[in-house]
Amino acid sequence: MIGSLLAQVESLKDAASSAGQTQDSLILGEQFYFFTVVIMWLIHAGFMSYETGIARKKNALATAMKNILTIAVVTPTFYYFGWWIYNCNQPGLPIGPNSSDFTAAACQGGIPWSDAFGPNLTNNINLVFFLAFLLFSWTTASIMSGAIIERARLSAYLLLACMLGSVVWILDAAWGWSAGGWLTLRFGFHDSIASGVVHGVAGAFTLGVLFNLGPRIGKYTREGLARQFRPHNLHMTLLGLMLIFTGFYAFYAACLVISSTAFPGWANIYLSPTTLGTIAMIITMGFAGGFTGGYFASRGDPFWTVSGGLAGVISVSAGADVYAPTLGYLIAMASAAMVVYAGNWIEKSVRVDDAVGAVAVHGVAGFLGMLWVGVFAAGYPTGVNNVDSSIGGQLIGMATFLPLGFLTGYYMSWVMKKLNILRVPVEVEFMGLDIAEYEPNLYLPEVAVVDEQIVEPDGTPVEAHIVLRTARDEVVS
Amino acid sequence: MPAIINSAPDCVVHKEGANPDDLADFILQDNYADCAGFGTFMPGSTYGEDGSGAESIYMIVTWVGIVVMIVVLVAWVVLENRRLLAAMVGARETPPGHVPQPGGVGEDR
Repeated sequence: MIGSLLAQVESLKDAASSAGQTQDSLILGEQFYFFTVVIMWLIHAGFMSYETGIARKKNALATAMKNILTIAVVTPTFYYFGWWIYNCNQPGLPIGPNSSDFTAAACQGGIPWSDAFGPNLTNNINLVFFLAFLLFSWTTASIMSGAIIERARLSAYLLLACMLGSVVWILDAAWGWSAGGWLTLRFGFHDSIASGVVHGVAGAFTLGVLFNLGPRIGKYTREGLARQFRPHNLHMTLLGLMLIFTGFYAFYAACLVISSTAFPGWANIYLSPTTLGTIAMIITMGFAGGFTGGYFASRGDPFWTVSGGLAGVISVSAGADVYAPTLGYLIAMASAAMVVYAGNWIEKSVRVDDAVGAVAVHGVAGFLGMLWVGVFAAGYPTGVNNVDSSIGGQLIGMATFLPLGFLTGYYMSWVMKKLNILRVPVEVEFMGLDIAEYEPNLYLPEVAVVDEQIVEPDGTPVEAHIVLRTARDEVVS
Repeated sequence: MPAIINSAPDCVVHKEGANPDDLADFILQDNYADCAGFGTFMPGSTYGEDGSGAESIYMIVTWVGIVVMIVVLVAWVVLENRRLLAAMVGARETPPGHVPQPGGVGEDR
Protein backbone atom coordinates (compact mmCIF):
# COMPACT_ATOMS: atom_id res chain seq x y z
CA MET A 1 0.00 0.00 0.00
CA ILE A 2 2.71 2.45 1.11
CA GLY A 3 4.87 1.35 -1.75
CA SER A 4 2.08 2.10 -4.16
CA LEU A 5 1.59 5.57 -2.68
CA LEU A 6 5.30 6.33 -2.90
CA ALA A 7 5.30 5.21 -6.52
CA GLN A 8 2.38 7.53 -7.23
CA VAL A 9 4.17 10.43 -5.52
CA GLU A 10 7.30 9.77 -7.57
CA SER A 11 5.20 9.60 -10.71
CA LEU A 12 3.61 12.96 -9.90
CA LYS A 13 7.05 14.46 -9.20
CA ASP A 14 8.30 13.21 -12.56
CA ALA A 15 5.25 14.61 -14.31
CA ALA A 16 5.74 17.98 -12.61
CA SER A 17 9.40 17.98 -13.48
CA SER A 18 8.64 17.10 -17.09
CA ALA A 19 5.97 19.82 -17.36
CA GLY A 20 8.37 22.34 -15.84
CA GLN A 21 11.09 21.39 -18.29
CA THR A 22 8.70 21.73 -21.18
CA GLN A 23 7.61 25.16 -19.96
CA ASP A 24 11.23 26.25 -19.52
CA SER A 25 11.96 25.07 -23.02
CA LEU A 26 9.04 27.05 -24.43
CA ILE A 27 10.10 30.22 -22.63
CA LEU A 28 13.68 29.74 -23.85
CA GLY A 29 12.30 29.35 -27.36
CA GLU A 30 10.21 32.48 -26.96
CA GLN A 31 13.26 34.50 -25.96
CA PHE A 32 15.37 32.98 -28.72
CA TYR A 33 12.97 33.89 -31.51
CA PHE A 34 12.35 37.31 -30.01
CA PHE A 35 16.02 38.22 -30.28
CA THR A 36 16.30 36.84 -33.80
CA VAL A 37 13.40 39.10 -34.75
CA VAL A 38 15.14 42.13 -33.24
CA ILE A 39 18.40 41.43 -35.05
CA MET A 40 16.62 40.67 -38.33
CA TRP A 41 15.43 44.30 -38.42
CA LEU A 42 19.01 45.04 -39.45
CA ILE A 43 18.28 43.29 -42.74
CA HIS A 44 15.70 45.96 -43.50
CA ALA A 45 17.90 48.82 -42.39
CA GLY A 46 20.43 47.23 -44.71
CA PHE A 47 18.10 46.91 -47.67
CA MET A 48 17.11 50.54 -47.26
CA SER A 49 20.72 51.77 -47.18
CA TYR A 50 21.77 49.45 -49.96
CA GLU A 51 19.08 50.57 -52.38
CA THR A 52 19.16 54.23 -51.44
CA GLY A 53 22.89 54.33 -52.07
CA ILE A 54 22.43 52.73 -55.48
CA ALA A 55 19.71 55.19 -56.48
CA ARG A 56 20.47 58.52 -58.07
CA LYS A 57 20.08 61.57 -55.85
CA LYS A 58 16.77 62.54 -57.35
CA ASN A 59 15.26 59.20 -56.28
CA ALA A 60 16.97 58.64 -52.95
CA LEU A 61 14.08 59.48 -50.62
CA ALA A 62 11.50 57.63 -52.71
CA THR A 63 13.72 54.56 -52.64
CA ALA A 64 14.14 54.67 -48.87
CA MET A 65 10.44 55.27 -48.22
CA LYS A 66 9.56 52.27 -50.34
CA ASN A 67 11.62 50.02 -48.09
CA ILE A 68 10.12 51.41 -44.90
CA LEU A 69 6.57 51.11 -46.19
CA THR A 70 7.15 47.44 -47.00
CA ILE A 71 6.65 46.90 -43.29
CA ALA A 72 3.37 48.84 -43.35
CA VAL A 73 1.69 46.57 -45.88
CA VAL A 74 3.31 43.16 -45.56
CA THR A 75 2.69 43.02 -41.81
CA PRO A 76 -1.13 43.18 -41.90
CA THR A 77 -1.46 41.05 -45.02
CA PHE A 78 0.81 38.39 -43.56
CA TYR A 79 -1.14 38.55 -40.31
CA TYR A 80 -4.55 38.27 -41.94
CA PHE A 81 -3.83 35.53 -44.46
CA GLY A 82 -0.12 34.75 -44.82
CA TRP A 83 0.21 32.74 -41.65
CA TRP A 84 -2.99 30.89 -42.48
CA ILE A 85 -1.52 29.97 -45.87
CA TYR A 86 1.52 28.47 -44.18
CA ASN A 87 -0.32 26.53 -41.52
CA CYS A 88 -3.28 25.31 -43.52
CA ASN A 89 -1.92 24.58 -46.98
CA GLN A 90 1.01 22.26 -46.43
CA PRO A 91 -0.71 19.30 -48.12
CA GLY A 92 -1.29 21.43 -51.24
CA LEU A 93 -3.65 24.04 -52.57
CA PRO A 94 -6.95 24.27 -50.66
CA ILE A 95 -9.04 23.21 -53.62
CA GLY A 96 -10.45 19.91 -52.43
CA PRO A 97 -13.17 19.31 -49.85
CA ASN A 98 -11.93 19.58 -46.26
CA SER A 99 -8.41 20.41 -47.43
CA SER A 100 -8.39 23.56 -45.34
CA ASP A 101 -10.12 22.60 -42.14
CA PHE A 102 -10.20 25.61 -39.85
CA THR A 103 -10.69 23.37 -36.86
CA ALA A 104 -7.59 21.25 -37.52
CA ALA A 105 -4.91 21.73 -34.89
CA ALA A 106 -2.33 22.78 -37.48
CA CYS A 107 -4.60 25.56 -38.67
CA GLN A 108 -5.63 26.87 -35.27
CA GLY A 109 -2.51 28.93 -34.73
CA GLY A 110 -2.76 30.45 -38.19
CA ILE A 111 -6.21 31.94 -38.37
CA PRO A 112 -6.31 35.57 -37.25
CA TRP A 113 -9.33 35.11 -35.03
CA SER A 114 -7.77 32.26 -33.07
CA ASP A 115 -7.11 32.96 -29.42
CA ALA A 116 -3.68 31.45 -29.97
CA PHE A 117 -3.00 34.64 -31.96
CA GLY A 118 -3.23 36.96 -28.96
CA PRO A 119 -2.39 37.03 -25.26
CA ASN A 120 -2.46 33.38 -24.30
CA LEU A 121 -0.74 31.92 -21.25
CA THR A 122 -0.64 28.43 -22.70
CA ASN A 123 1.04 29.46 -25.92
CA ASN A 124 4.45 31.11 -25.69
CA ILE A 125 5.56 30.20 -29.17
CA ASN A 126 2.89 30.97 -31.76
CA LEU A 127 3.16 34.75 -31.80
CA VAL A 128 6.92 34.99 -31.67
CA PHE A 129 7.31 32.24 -34.27
CA PHE A 130 4.84 34.16 -36.44
CA LEU A 131 7.01 37.26 -36.04
CA ALA A 132 10.11 35.39 -37.18
CA PHE A 133 8.24 34.34 -40.31
CA LEU A 134 6.96 37.89 -40.74
CA LEU A 135 10.52 39.15 -40.84
CA PHE A 136 11.26 36.54 -43.52
CA SER A 137 8.30 37.99 -45.42
CA TRP A 138 9.67 41.52 -45.25
CA THR A 139 13.00 40.20 -46.51
CA THR A 140 11.37 38.39 -49.40
CA ALA A 141 9.46 41.48 -50.49
CA SER A 142 12.56 43.66 -50.09
CA ILE A 143 14.48 41.43 -52.49
CA MET A 144 12.20 42.69 -55.26
CA SER A 145 12.21 46.32 -54.15
CA GLY A 146 15.76 47.14 -55.21
CA ALA A 147 15.39 45.79 -58.72
CA ILE A 148 12.54 48.12 -59.65
CA ILE A 149 13.76 51.40 -58.20
CA GLU A 150 13.62 54.76 -59.96
CA ARG A 151 10.61 54.04 -62.19
CA ALA A 152 8.06 51.85 -60.39
CA ARG A 153 5.22 53.50 -58.53
CA LEU A 154 5.31 53.21 -54.77
CA SER A 155 1.75 51.86 -54.67
CA ALA A 156 2.54 49.32 -57.39
CA TYR A 157 5.50 48.10 -55.42
CA LEU A 158 3.43 47.84 -52.25
CA LEU A 159 0.78 45.69 -53.96
CA LEU A 160 3.45 43.47 -55.48
CA ALA A 161 5.16 43.24 -52.09
CA CYS A 162 1.91 42.02 -50.53
CA MET A 163 1.62 39.32 -53.17
CA LEU A 164 5.23 38.19 -52.88
CA GLY A 165 5.64 38.62 -49.13
CA SER A 166 2.27 37.38 -47.94
CA VAL A 167 1.18 34.85 -50.57
CA VAL A 168 3.78 33.51 -52.99
CA TRP A 169 6.75 32.79 -50.78
CA ILE A 170 4.71 31.54 -47.86
CA LEU A 171 2.82 29.15 -50.13
CA ASP A 172 6.06 27.64 -51.36
CA ALA A 173 7.25 27.56 -47.75
CA ALA A 174 4.14 25.59 -46.80
CA TRP A 175 4.91 23.09 -49.54
CA GLY A 176 8.67 22.78 -49.22
CA TRP A 177 9.79 24.44 -46.00
CA SER A 178 7.78 22.66 -43.35
CA ALA A 179 7.79 19.24 -41.78
CA GLY A 180 4.36 18.52 -43.26
CA GLY A 181 4.76 20.02 -46.73
CA TRP A 182 3.99 17.77 -49.68
CA LEU A 183 7.36 18.39 -51.28
CA THR A 184 9.05 17.34 -48.06
CA LEU A 185 6.88 14.35 -47.26
CA ARG A 186 6.79 12.91 -50.76
CA PHE A 187 10.08 13.92 -52.34
CA GLY A 188 12.46 14.67 -49.48
CA PHE A 189 12.87 18.22 -50.74
CA HIS A 190 15.58 19.89 -48.66
CA ASP A 191 16.10 23.65 -48.47
CA SER A 192 16.89 24.11 -44.82
CA ILE A 193 17.72 27.85 -44.72
CA ALA A 194 15.59 28.87 -47.67
CA SER A 195 17.90 29.24 -50.68
CA GLY A 196 15.00 28.73 -53.02
CA VAL A 197 12.03 29.17 -50.71
CA VAL A 198 12.89 32.82 -50.03
CA HIS A 199 15.60 33.96 -52.43
CA GLY A 200 14.98 31.85 -55.51
CA VAL A 201 11.26 32.49 -55.59
CA ALA A 202 11.71 36.21 -54.93
CA GLY A 203 14.23 36.39 -57.78
CA ALA A 204 11.85 34.61 -60.16
CA PHE A 205 8.97 36.89 -59.15
CA THR A 206 11.19 39.94 -59.66
CA LEU A 207 12.18 38.81 -63.13
CA GLY A 208 8.53 38.51 -64.07
CA VAL A 209 7.87 42.04 -62.83
CA LEU A 210 10.90 43.49 -64.63
CA PHE A 211 9.70 42.13 -67.98
CA ASN A 212 6.60 44.29 -67.70
CA LEU A 213 8.17 47.25 -65.94
CA GLY A 214 10.90 47.83 -68.51
CA PRO A 215 14.24 49.59 -68.09
CA ARG A 216 14.85 53.07 -66.71
CA ILE A 217 14.89 55.87 -69.24
CA GLY A 218 18.34 56.06 -70.79
CA LYS A 219 19.53 52.71 -69.46
CA TYR A 220 20.10 51.34 -72.95
CA THR A 221 21.38 53.04 -76.07
CA ARG A 222 19.43 52.91 -79.29
CA GLU A 223 21.65 49.96 -80.25
CA GLY A 224 20.70 48.14 -77.04
CA LEU A 225 23.99 48.60 -75.22
CA ALA A 226 23.79 49.08 -71.46
CA ARG A 227 24.74 52.36 -69.83
CA GLN A 228 25.68 52.53 -66.17
CA PHE A 229 23.96 54.84 -63.72
CA ARG A 230 26.39 55.84 -61.03
CA PRO A 231 25.27 55.06 -57.46
CA HIS A 232 24.92 58.34 -55.61
CA ASN A 233 26.54 56.88 -52.50
CA LEU A 234 28.40 53.59 -52.84
CA HIS A 235 29.56 53.73 -49.23
CA MET A 236 25.95 53.71 -48.10
CA THR A 237 25.34 50.72 -50.35
CA LEU A 238 28.25 48.79 -48.89
CA LEU A 239 27.19 49.63 -45.35
CA GLY A 240 23.71 48.41 -46.22
CA LEU A 241 25.09 45.10 -47.39
CA MET A 242 27.08 44.71 -44.19
CA LEU A 243 23.91 45.32 -42.18
CA ILE A 244 22.13 42.69 -44.25
CA PHE A 245 24.97 40.27 -43.56
CA THR A 246 24.72 40.89 -39.82
CA GLY A 247 20.99 40.34 -39.88
CA PHE A 248 21.47 37.16 -41.86
CA TYR A 249 22.97 35.42 -38.84
CA ALA A 250 19.68 35.96 -37.04
CA PHE A 251 17.78 34.90 -40.16
CA TYR A 252 19.72 31.64 -40.20
CA ALA A 253 19.20 31.07 -36.49
CA ALA A 254 15.48 31.76 -36.76
CA CYS A 255 15.19 29.03 -39.39
CA LEU A 256 16.01 26.43 -36.73
CA VAL A 257 13.69 24.87 -34.21
CA ILE A 258 14.92 25.02 -30.62
CA SER A 259 14.06 22.57 -27.84
CA SER A 260 16.22 22.54 -24.74
CA THR A 261 14.63 19.36 -23.42
CA ALA A 262 15.60 17.19 -26.36
CA PHE A 263 18.99 16.17 -27.70
CA PRO A 264 20.68 17.84 -29.62
CA GLY A 265 18.38 20.80 -28.86
CA TRP A 266 18.23 22.02 -32.44
CA ALA A 267 16.50 20.87 -35.57
CA ASN A 268 16.07 22.31 -39.02
CA ILE A 269 12.67 23.41 -40.27
CA TYR A 270 11.93 19.80 -41.24
CA LEU A 271 12.62 18.69 -37.65
CA SER A 272 15.77 16.82 -38.69
CA PRO A 273 18.75 17.34 -36.35
CA THR A 274 21.45 19.98 -36.74
CA THR A 275 23.21 22.50 -34.50
CA LEU A 276 23.36 26.28 -34.32
CA GLY A 277 27.13 26.10 -34.70
CA THR A 278 26.79 24.19 -37.96
CA ILE A 279 24.73 26.80 -39.72
CA ALA A 280 26.75 29.70 -38.24
CA MET A 281 29.90 28.06 -39.59
CA ILE A 282 28.46 27.55 -43.05
CA ILE A 283 27.18 31.11 -43.32
CA THR A 284 30.63 32.42 -42.43
CA MET A 285 32.40 30.13 -44.89
CA GLY A 286 29.75 31.13 -47.43
CA PHE A 287 30.62 34.79 -47.02
CA ALA A 288 34.34 34.06 -47.34
CA GLY A 289 33.88 32.00 -50.48
CA GLY A 290 31.31 34.39 -51.92
CA PHE A 291 33.44 37.51 -51.50
CA THR A 292 36.37 35.71 -53.10
CA GLY A 293 34.38 34.39 -56.05
CA GLY A 294 32.71 37.74 -56.59
CA TYR A 295 36.00 39.62 -56.47
CA PHE A 296 37.79 37.49 -59.01
CA ALA A 297 34.86 37.02 -61.35
CA SER A 298 34.24 40.78 -61.48
CA ARG A 299 37.94 41.69 -61.47
CA GLY A 300 37.67 43.56 -58.23
CA ASP A 301 34.44 45.45 -58.81
CA PRO A 302 33.29 46.56 -55.30
CA PHE A 303 29.58 46.12 -55.98
CA TRP A 304 29.91 42.60 -57.29
CA THR A 305 32.51 41.64 -54.68
CA VAL A 306 30.15 42.42 -51.83
CA SER A 307 27.11 41.11 -53.69
CA GLY A 308 29.15 37.96 -54.29
CA GLY A 309 29.25 37.45 -50.52
CA LEU A 310 25.49 37.56 -50.41
CA ALA A 311 25.20 35.22 -53.38
CA GLY A 312 27.67 32.84 -51.77
CA VAL A 313 25.67 32.60 -48.58
CA ILE A 314 22.41 32.12 -50.44
CA SER A 315 23.92 29.31 -52.49
CA VAL A 316 24.92 27.32 -49.40
CA SER A 317 21.77 28.01 -47.42
CA ALA A 318 19.78 25.01 -48.64
CA GLY A 319 22.31 22.56 -47.24
CA ALA A 320 23.71 24.67 -44.41
CA ASP A 321 22.51 22.16 -41.83
CA VAL A 322 24.61 19.31 -43.24
CA TYR A 323 27.43 20.76 -45.35
CA ALA A 324 31.04 20.37 -44.28
CA PRO A 325 32.68 23.81 -43.96
CA THR A 326 35.07 23.24 -46.86
CA LEU A 327 32.21 22.29 -49.12
CA GLY A 328 30.38 25.45 -48.11
CA TYR A 329 33.43 27.54 -48.92
CA LEU A 330 33.92 26.00 -52.36
CA ILE A 331 30.25 26.02 -53.33
CA ALA A 332 29.92 29.67 -52.31
CA MET A 333 32.99 30.70 -54.28
CA ALA A 334 31.88 28.94 -57.46
CA SER A 335 28.30 30.15 -57.13
CA ALA A 336 29.28 33.77 -56.56
CA ALA A 337 31.41 33.69 -59.71
CA MET A 338 28.48 32.26 -61.66
CA VAL A 339 26.21 34.94 -60.28
CA VAL A 340 28.51 37.72 -61.50
CA TYR A 341 28.39 36.31 -65.02
CA ALA A 342 24.64 35.75 -64.76
CA GLY A 343 24.11 39.34 -63.62
CA ASN A 344 26.06 40.75 -66.53
CA TRP A 345 24.27 38.45 -68.94
CA ILE A 346 20.86 39.50 -67.65
CA GLU A 347 21.76 43.17 -67.96
CA LYS A 348 23.63 43.16 -71.25
CA SER A 349 22.22 40.28 -73.26
CA VAL A 350 18.68 39.85 -71.97
CA ARG A 351 18.46 43.64 -71.48
CA VAL A 352 16.61 43.45 -68.23
CA ASP A 353 17.31 46.53 -66.11
CA ASP A 354 17.74 45.08 -62.63
CA ALA A 355 19.12 48.04 -60.67
CA VAL A 356 20.68 45.98 -57.88
CA GLY A 357 21.28 42.62 -59.52
CA ALA A 358 18.55 40.98 -57.43
CA VAL A 359 17.57 38.42 -60.05
CA ALA A 360 21.14 37.15 -60.26
CA VAL A 361 22.13 37.46 -56.60
CA HIS A 362 18.93 36.06 -55.12
CA GLY A 363 17.26 34.22 -57.97
CA VAL A 364 20.19 32.49 -59.63
CA ALA A 365 22.02 31.81 -56.37
CA GLY A 366 18.80 30.59 -54.77
CA PHE A 367 18.08 28.05 -57.48
CA LEU A 368 21.74 26.99 -57.55
CA GLY A 369 21.48 26.44 -53.80
CA MET A 370 18.59 24.02 -54.22
CA LEU A 371 20.45 22.20 -56.99
CA TRP A 372 23.67 21.83 -54.98
CA VAL A 373 21.85 19.90 -52.24
CA GLY A 374 20.82 17.30 -54.81
CA VAL A 375 24.39 17.09 -56.08
CA PHE A 376 26.41 17.31 -52.85
CA ALA A 377 24.03 16.43 -50.03
CA ALA A 378 21.83 13.62 -51.29
CA GLY A 379 20.91 10.81 -48.96
CA TYR A 380 19.95 12.77 -45.86
CA PRO A 381 16.58 11.69 -44.48
CA THR A 382 14.42 14.82 -44.45
CA GLY A 383 11.18 15.55 -42.65
CA VAL A 384 8.99 13.37 -40.49
CA ASN A 385 8.60 10.76 -43.24
CA ASN A 386 12.40 10.53 -43.45
CA VAL A 387 12.48 10.62 -47.24
CA ASP A 388 16.05 10.92 -48.50
CA SER A 389 17.04 14.16 -50.16
CA SER A 390 17.94 13.56 -53.79
CA ILE A 391 18.62 15.32 -57.07
CA GLY A 392 15.17 14.29 -58.26
CA GLY A 393 13.44 15.77 -55.25
CA GLN A 394 15.40 18.99 -55.58
CA LEU A 395 14.54 19.29 -59.28
CA ILE A 396 10.86 18.78 -58.52
CA GLY A 397 11.06 21.56 -55.96
CA MET A 398 12.80 23.87 -58.43
CA ALA A 399 10.26 23.05 -61.13
CA THR A 400 7.51 23.96 -58.68
CA PHE A 401 9.01 27.20 -57.41
CA LEU A 402 10.16 28.70 -60.70
CA PRO A 403 6.71 29.01 -62.32
CA LEU A 404 5.08 29.86 -59.01
CA GLY A 405 7.34 32.88 -58.58
CA PHE A 406 7.81 33.97 -62.18
CA LEU A 407 4.24 33.60 -63.44
CA THR A 408 2.72 35.30 -60.42
CA GLY A 409 5.05 38.27 -60.73
CA TYR A 410 4.64 38.44 -64.48
CA TYR A 411 0.86 38.31 -64.61
CA MET A 412 0.25 40.56 -61.63
CA SER A 413 2.53 43.24 -63.06
CA TRP A 414 1.01 42.69 -66.52
CA VAL A 415 -2.43 43.53 -65.15
CA MET A 416 -1.05 46.59 -63.37
CA LYS A 417 0.65 47.70 -66.55
CA LYS A 418 -2.63 47.43 -68.44
CA LEU A 419 -4.30 49.53 -65.74
CA ASN A 420 -1.45 52.05 -66.03
CA ILE A 421 -0.61 51.85 -62.35
CA LEU A 422 2.75 50.09 -62.61
CA ARG A 423 5.16 52.79 -63.70
CA VAL A 424 5.48 56.50 -63.04
CA PRO A 425 4.88 58.91 -65.96
CA VAL A 426 7.88 59.66 -68.16
CA GLU A 427 8.00 63.27 -66.99
CA VAL A 428 8.11 62.20 -63.36
CA GLU A 429 10.83 59.66 -63.97
CA PHE A 430 12.88 62.30 -65.75
CA MET A 431 12.65 64.91 -63.04
CA GLY A 432 12.99 62.37 -60.22
CA LEU A 433 10.53 60.63 -57.97
CA ASP A 434 11.40 62.64 -54.89
CA ILE A 435 10.06 65.87 -56.37
CA ALA A 436 6.81 64.27 -57.50
CA GLU A 437 6.13 62.07 -54.49
CA TYR A 438 7.33 64.27 -51.65
CA GLU A 439 7.82 67.88 -50.72
CA PRO A 440 10.35 69.25 -53.19
CA ASN A 441 12.18 71.51 -50.80
CA LEU A 442 14.02 68.67 -49.13
CA TYR A 443 17.60 69.05 -50.21
CA LEU A 444 20.13 71.82 -50.21
CA PRO A 445 20.31 73.64 -53.56
CA GLU A 446 23.71 72.19 -54.34
CA VAL A 447 22.17 68.72 -54.59
CA ALA A 448 21.27 69.08 -58.22
CA VAL A 449 20.04 66.54 -60.72
CA VAL A 450 22.09 68.01 -63.53
CA ASP A 451 25.36 67.30 -61.72
CA GLU A 452 24.91 63.58 -62.12
CA GLN A 453 26.83 61.62 -64.68
CA ILE A 454 26.02 58.54 -66.68
CA VAL A 455 28.56 56.08 -68.05
CA GLU A 456 28.22 55.16 -71.70
CA PRO A 457 28.77 51.54 -72.81
CA ASP A 458 32.31 52.43 -73.91
CA GLY A 459 33.10 53.72 -70.42
CA THR A 460 32.88 57.43 -71.18
CA PRO A 461 31.20 59.50 -68.45
CA VAL A 462 28.81 62.15 -69.77
CA GLU A 463 26.40 64.63 -68.22
CA ALA A 464 23.30 62.63 -67.31
CA HIS A 465 20.72 65.25 -68.25
CA ILE A 466 21.87 65.33 -71.88
CA VAL A 467 21.46 61.58 -72.33
CA LEU A 468 18.27 61.37 -70.30
CA ARG A 469 16.54 64.25 -72.08
CA THR A 470 17.24 62.63 -75.44
CA ALA A 471 16.00 59.27 -74.19
CA ARG A 472 12.90 60.85 -72.66
CA ASP A 473 12.06 62.64 -75.90
CA GLU A 474 12.37 59.34 -77.76
CA VAL A 475 9.96 57.68 -75.32
CA VAL A 476 7.45 60.54 -75.53
CA SER A 477 7.58 60.74 -79.31
CA MET B 1 -15.01 53.47 -12.78
CA PRO B 2 -17.11 51.43 -15.19
CA ALA B 3 -15.54 50.52 -18.48
CA ILE B 4 -16.97 52.15 -21.62
CA ILE B 5 -16.60 48.85 -23.41
CA ASN B 6 -15.77 45.74 -21.46
CA SER B 7 -13.60 43.93 -23.97
CA ALA B 8 -12.33 41.21 -21.64
CA PRO B 9 -13.55 37.66 -22.22
CA ASP B 10 -15.72 35.87 -19.69
CA CYS B 11 -12.86 33.91 -18.20
CA VAL B 12 -11.54 37.13 -16.65
CA VAL B 13 -13.35 37.66 -13.37
CA HIS B 14 -13.47 40.90 -11.42
CA LYS B 15 -12.76 40.56 -7.74
CA GLU B 16 -12.59 43.51 -5.40
CA GLY B 17 -9.20 44.17 -3.88
CA ALA B 18 -6.08 42.09 -4.03
CA ASN B 19 -5.24 38.81 -2.44
CA PRO B 20 -1.89 39.05 -0.64
CA ASP B 21 -1.01 35.61 -1.94
CA ASP B 22 -1.31 36.50 -5.59
CA LEU B 23 0.64 39.73 -5.95
CA ALA B 24 4.16 38.38 -6.28
CA ASP B 25 5.78 38.34 -9.69
CA PHE B 26 5.06 35.29 -11.81
CA ILE B 27 2.05 34.28 -9.74
CA LEU B 28 -1.19 34.38 -11.63
CA GLN B 29 -3.73 36.62 -9.99
CA ASP B 30 -7.12 35.25 -9.03
CA ASN B 31 -8.77 37.42 -11.62
CA TYR B 32 -7.00 35.54 -14.39
CA ALA B 33 -6.79 32.15 -12.74
CA ASP B 34 -9.21 30.51 -15.17
CA CYS B 35 -7.81 32.14 -18.29
CA ALA B 36 -5.43 30.87 -20.90
CA GLY B 37 -6.29 33.19 -23.79
CA PHE B 38 -7.56 36.61 -22.70
CA GLY B 39 -7.05 39.11 -25.54
CA THR B 40 -9.45 41.99 -26.09
CA PHE B 41 -12.68 40.94 -27.78
CA MET B 42 -11.32 37.42 -28.10
CA PRO B 43 -13.48 34.48 -27.13
CA GLY B 44 -11.07 33.66 -24.33
CA SER B 45 -10.11 30.16 -23.32
CA THR B 46 -9.46 28.36 -20.11
CA TYR B 47 -6.71 26.00 -19.07
CA GLY B 48 -7.18 22.55 -20.43
CA GLU B 49 -8.84 23.69 -23.62
CA ASP B 50 -7.16 23.40 -26.96
CA GLY B 51 -8.01 26.95 -27.82
CA SER B 52 -11.19 28.10 -29.42
CA GLY B 53 -12.06 29.51 -32.77
CA ALA B 54 -14.10 32.40 -34.00
CA GLU B 55 -16.84 34.03 -32.01
CA SER B 56 -19.02 36.85 -33.16
CA ILE B 57 -17.48 40.01 -31.72
CA TYR B 58 -13.88 39.04 -32.38
CA MET B 59 -14.75 37.87 -35.87
CA ILE B 60 -16.28 41.29 -36.52
CA VAL B 61 -13.21 43.10 -35.20
CA THR B 62 -10.97 40.94 -37.35
CA TRP B 63 -12.99 41.61 -40.49
CA VAL B 64 -12.97 45.34 -39.75
CA GLY B 65 -9.18 45.12 -39.73
CA ILE B 66 -9.16 43.23 -43.04
CA VAL B 67 -11.47 45.76 -44.69
CA VAL B 68 -9.39 48.69 -43.41
CA MET B 69 -6.26 47.04 -44.77
CA ILE B 70 -7.83 46.67 -48.23
CA VAL B 71 -9.13 50.24 -48.21
CA VAL B 72 -5.66 51.51 -47.30
CA LEU B 73 -4.07 49.61 -50.20
CA VAL B 74 -6.62 50.97 -52.68
CA ALA B 75 -6.20 54.49 -51.28
CA TRP B 76 -2.47 54.23 -51.77
CA VAL B 77 -2.97 53.54 -55.48
CA VAL B 78 -5.54 56.30 -55.96
CA LEU B 79 -3.74 59.02 -54.03
CA GLU B 80 -0.39 58.32 -55.62
CA ASN B 81 -1.97 58.34 -59.06
CA ARG B 82 -3.39 61.82 -58.41
CA ARG B 83 -0.07 63.09 -57.17
CA LEU B 84 1.85 61.69 -60.13
CA LEU B 85 -0.63 63.07 -62.65
CA ALA B 86 -0.35 66.51 -61.05
CA ALA B 87 3.41 66.34 -61.22
CA MET B 88 3.23 65.21 -64.85
CA VAL B 89 1.01 68.13 -65.79
CA GLY B 90 3.31 70.52 -63.95
CA ALA B 91 6.32 69.15 -65.77
CA ARG B 92 4.65 69.61 -69.17
CA GLU B 93 3.87 73.22 -68.36
CA THR B 94 7.47 74.10 -67.52
CA PRO B 95 9.59 75.61 -70.32
CA PRO B 96 11.62 73.20 -72.46
CA GLY B 97 15.03 72.54 -71.03
CA HIS B 98 14.04 73.47 -67.51
CA VAL B 99 14.68 70.75 -64.98
CA PRO B 100 13.03 71.31 -61.57
CA GLN B 101 15.61 71.12 -58.85
CA PRO B 102 15.13 69.83 -55.33
CA GLY B 103 15.58 72.64 -52.87
CA GLY B 104 14.90 75.35 -55.39
CA VAL B 105 12.70 78.35 -54.71
CA GLY B 106 10.25 80.35 -56.77
CA GLU B 107 10.24 79.31 -60.41
CA ASP B 108 12.74 76.56 -59.72
CA ARG B 109 10.26 74.63 -57.58
